[in-house]
Amino acid sequence: MEKSNNLMMPVAVVIAGLIIGGAVMSTSDKGAPSRVAQAPSGNQPVPSQLSGSTDAVDPITDQDHIAGNPDAAVVVVEYSDFECPFCKRFHETMNQVIDEYGDNGDVAWVYRQFPIDQLHSKARLESSISECVADVGGNDAFWAFTNSFYELTPSNNQTDLDAVIPQILGEIGIDKLAVQSCVDSDKYATHIQDDVDNAAETGGRGTPWSIVIGPDGTTYPLSGAQPYAAVKQIIDLALSNK
Amino acid sequence: MVFSIAVLIPNIRLLIQIIPDLSISLSIKLNLIFSLFGAIQTNFTALSASYTIAISILFGVNLVLFFHYIRSQRTGVSKVNGAAGIGGLISGIFGIGCAACGTFILTWVLGFVGAAGLVSFLPLGGEEFGILGVILLVLSIRMITKKITGPQTCSI
Repeated sequence: MEKSNNLMMPVAVVIAGLIIGGAVMSTSDKGAPSRVAQAPSGNQPVPSQLSGSTDAVDPITDQDHIAGNPDAAVVVVEYSDFECPFCKRFHETMNQVIDEYGDNGDVAWVYRQFPIDQLHSKARLESSISECVADVGGNDAFWAFTNSFYELTPSNNQTDLDAVIPQILGEIGIDKLAVQSCVDSDKYATHIQDDVDNAAETGGRGTPWSIVIGPDGTTYPLSGAQPYAAVKQIIDLALSNK
Repeated sequence: MVFSIAVLIPNIRLLIQIIPDLSISLSIKLNLIFSLFGAIQTNFTALSASYTIAISILFGVNLVLFFHYIRSQRTGVSKVNGAAGIGGLISGIFGIGCAACGTFILTWVLGFVGAAGLVSFLPLGGEEFGILGVILLVLSIRMITKKITGPQTCSI
């Protein structure tokens, strides 16, 4: 009895290590086959045990929303959820990145949609609205909308869409009726789902999920709202492969 | 160690990619690791950052007290004490993770039974486990401290 009691803490340490190790191994690319995510519907959680490969990131096209130099040596592809408070923080960080690297054209920032429906029921609609703003007003309008949205809204599904969307559209000079018509037509539903699928396929398990693509094609995964210093380290590392 | 795991684990894939790469200098690797620790400010809510730090400290204290107790050749830790220690550690580990996407490890475990979405039904998105971890670890420390400072007697 006493021996088994004495062993309880070391056993706890071993169990803890196994749990952490198991979680780490399930997220690691090493030796794990790439599995394509089942296309999650609006009501299904993103599978948590897929590892994915960042090399599966969809190529950058003119359909993408790009800030900075489109021909930049390093591209940061971010998969984001408009209601995620950490995406809101990371949005500021990425704006800082573009401020620093945008002038010399070294970095481009690509914004893709990754609404997490089971946490933020409003996020998919907001993704659709943002895509329709781009449809109506172009790339600059998309970024103006996104910057304003993150600045004005409280995150965590607390956004009053009826108040904030007309406000933002009015401020950036976009036709509200045109955007409404686009949203009602569900024109970008497939595009948004494609982004969600690609996020899952590349190993995205939450938001923000980013992939830094170097000039030689090397991809670096970046999970979460990492501080500017960390993002800068990875960008500089990628740039060193020029 | 617990703190490092909590902060670095979201980017374990990045670290696994970069650390073994011999073409990347040691200074770059170290700078990257240190810069990732800044995520305690950017990638955690105030609550999850607080209990992550608390669990890191309490776990260390718990471990030190436990081994001190064993080395002092006293009788074994009671079942209740052991359970609190184990429970605190495991609960705390489940609580670790980014609040926006649910707890990292909890959703992995629940994923095995197809119940990862359950995290979203918890009021704090899984952070309850972190709070529970702190409580259990404090309880465990209290129990071990009582044992250490209490008189050694054979109870009737």
